[in-house]
Amino acid sequence: MTARFRLRQALVIARLEMKRVFLARRSLWIYALALLPGVLFLVHALQLRYELSKAREGGTVAPAAVEAIEEGMSEEQVLALAGKPGEDRARTVHRTRRREEAGREIFETREARTRRMVYFDGARRAFLWFEDGRLRSKEVRPVLNFAEDREVYAGVFQYFYLRLAIFFGCLGIFLNLFRGELMDKTLHFWLLAPARREVLLAGKFLAGWTAASAVFTGGAMLAFAAMLWPHMGAGAEAYWQGPGAVHAARYALAALMGCAGYGSLFLAASLWIRNPIVPAAVLLLWEASSGFLPELLQKLSVLYYLQSMCPVPAPMERDVPTLLRLILAPAAPLSPWLALPGLFAFSALVLWAAAAGARRIEINYSTD
Amino acid sequence: MSAQEIVFENVSKFYGDVLGVNRIELRIPPGLTSIVGPNGAGKSTLMNLMCGLIHPDRGEIRVLGISPRNPERLMRITGYATQFDAAPRWATGFDFVVSSLLLFGYSSSLAERLAWAALEQVGLTDAAHRKVNAYSKGMRQRVRLAQALAHDPQVLVLDEPLNGLDPVVRAETIALFRQLAASGRHVVVSSHVLQEVDVISDRVVLMANGMIVAEGGIRGVREEIREHPSQFLIRCPQPARLAALLFERAPVAEARVIEEEGALLVLTRDRNVFTRTLTALAASGLGIESIVPADESVHALYEYLVGGSA
Repeated sequence: MTARFRLRQALVIARLEMKRVFLARRSLWIYALALLPGVLFLVHALQLRYELSKAREGGTVAPAAVEAIEEGMSEEQVLALAGKPGEDRARTVHRTRRREEAGREIFETREARTRRMVYFDGARRAFLWFEDGRLRSKEVRPVLNFAEDREVYAGVFQYFYLRLAIFFGCLGIFLNLFRGELMDKTLHFWLLAPARREVLLAGKFLAGWTAASAVFTGGAMLAFAAMLWPHMGAGAEAYWQGPGAVHAARYALAALMGCAGYGSLFLAASLWIRNPIVPAAVLLLWEASSGFLPELLQKLSVLYYLQSMCPVPAPMERDVPTLLRLILAPAAPLSPWLALPGLFAFSALVLWAAAAGARRIEINYSTD
Repeated sequence: MSAQEIVFENVSKFYGDVLGVNRIELRIPPGLTSIVGPNGAGKSTLMNLMCGLIHPDRGEIRVLGISPRNPERLMRITGYATQFDAAPRWATGFDFVVSSLLLFGYSSSLAERLAWAALEQVGLTDAAHRKVNAYSKGMRQRVRLAQALAHDPQVLVLDEPLNGLDPVVRAETIALFRQLAASGRHVVVSSHVLQEVDVISDRVVLMANGMIVAEGGIRGVREEIREHPSQFLIRCPQPARLAALLFERAPVAEARVIEEEGALLVLTRDRNVFTRTLTALAASGLGIESIVPADESVHALYEYLVGGSA
C-alpha cells in the first residue's frame, strides 16, 4: 500500500466520521459552548446600537460644548451653551439633614428639585445632574469604547474560550471518536476495514479536528465580528485595515491549534485509559498552573503555545484574588513563529503515542 | 504455515480472569466450516481472533498466511459479519455497505455498484435506502452479510448468520453459503443451533468452555469420539432376540427394546465391528427391516461431548 493510498483512506474515514461527529446529539452542548461568546458579544453589540440610535434621536451637540460645561453652572447657562438636551428629566426629592443641637439630634427635611440632562456629541454621552438649579455632577461616557471592547474580547478569548470552551469541547468531541463508538458498539465497523490502525487514528483525528475547528474557530470569529460590528463607522475600519485582520487570523489560528493540541491529548487519553475523565481533570489543573510552572514544564502545556499566538494580552483586573491571579497568569511568552511549529510538534508527539494505543485496541463491548 | 488455510497454533485468550479460548489448535481448509457450541463456548472469540478484533494472549493465528494484526492485508481478503447488532445512526443499508467499500479504495461508482450487487445477493434491495436502525433484526443480519460479501472476499467469517432470518431467506442464505464454499472460498459460520449446522455443513468444529472438543466432518467427528457409544435404531420383528445375539457377538454397551415400535435401540463403542456383525445377522434371516443411526445429528454428538447442555 502506498502512502498516497493510506492518505486517501484517512480522508475517507474523516469524511464518513464527520457525519457522526457533526450530527451527534451528544455534541449539542459543544455548539452552545462555542457560540456563547458570540451570542454575548452580539447582545452587547445590539445593546450599543440601540443606545447609539436612541442618543442620536435626541440630537447631537458639539464636543466642545460638552467640554465647556462645568460643575456649578446654572441650568440656564448649560442650556444656553449646549441647547436642548437629548434627555431631560426633572423631579422633586426630599432631602433629610441631621444636626445636633444642645446634645439632641434634629432631623430637618426639605424639598429639593433635581434634574438630569443628557447630551450626545456623536461618540460620547454627557450625564449632568442638577440640584436646585445648579450642576452638581457631570459624567462623560463614550457610548462606544473600541479599545475596551477589544480588551474584553482578548480576556474572553483567553480566559473562557481557550481555557474552558475549547478544552471541554475537545474533551467531548475527541473522547467520543473511539470511546463513543465503543459505547455505541460500532467501533468494529472501522477495525474491520482494510486499514492500518494508524490510518484509522489519523482519519478520526482529522474528522475531530475539522469539526472542532469549524465549531470553535467559527465561534471565535463570530464573536470577533460581533465585537467589531457596532464600531463600524467609528474606528473599526481603520483597525481592520491595520492590524485587525492579522489579529483575527491569529485568534483563528489559536482556536485551530487549540483544537489540535487538546484534541490530540484527549484522543490519546481515550485510547490509553479506560476512564479518561480523571486524566482530563489532571490536565485541566496542569494547564491552569502552566503560568507558574518552571519554563521547561510550561512547554508541556498546550496553553503555553496558544497564549503566544494571541495578538492582545489578556487584561487582568487589580482586584482579582491571588489564587485566581496565579491560575490566570500567562506563561512566559514565546514567539508566535515558534509557537505554531512547537504546538504542531507537541500534537504530533501525542498522536504518535495515541497510535500505539490504537494498535492495541480490542473489541470487547461487554467490558467497555 | 499453510497459505491456503486458517491456522490457529496453541492460541489462548483470556478476558482478565475469564477464559475466552484455551490452547486452540485448528486448521480450517477451504469450504464451509461450522463452529458449533453453546453460548459462551468461545465461538465469537475464535472469530474475533481470526479477524483481529481481539488479539491472542498466547499462540499465533494466520489467515491464508496473513496475521490478523495486519488488518490492511487481512481485511482485503476477509469479510466478517459480526454478531454486533449496532450500526452507525446516520447510515442507510446502502450507505452502510458503500462506506465500507470506499475504505478499500474503490471509486464511488464502483463502490455503489458492488454494494448494490451485495444487497441483491442478500435480498435487501427494497430496503436499501432505509436507515439501518429502522431495520428488523433479520434485515440487520442481512445487511451485515452484504457488507461482508461486498468486496468478494476469499475468507468469509459469519457469526450466527442465520439468527433472525425467516425460513425462506434462511434457505436462500444457506444456498449462498454453499455456493461460496463450492467456489473454493473459506466460509466459516458459527451457530449455537445444532440442527442448523447439520443442514449447512459437513465439517464442524465443536467448542465448549473455550476449547475445541472435536473437529472434522460430522461422521469423522463421530469416529473420533470413540469413548462415546454410537446409537442405532434397528427395526425387526424380534427385537429381544436380536438384543441377545448382539450382546453375544458385538461390542454392545447397552440395548433397549422398544416393544411398541418393534424396535431395538443399541449403543455400541465400536461402530465398525457392530455394523459388520449386524450385517451378518441380517443375512441370517432375522427379518431386520431398517437400521438407522440414531445420533448422527450434531445435536446428539454435542450432547455426548458437553453433557447435554445444548
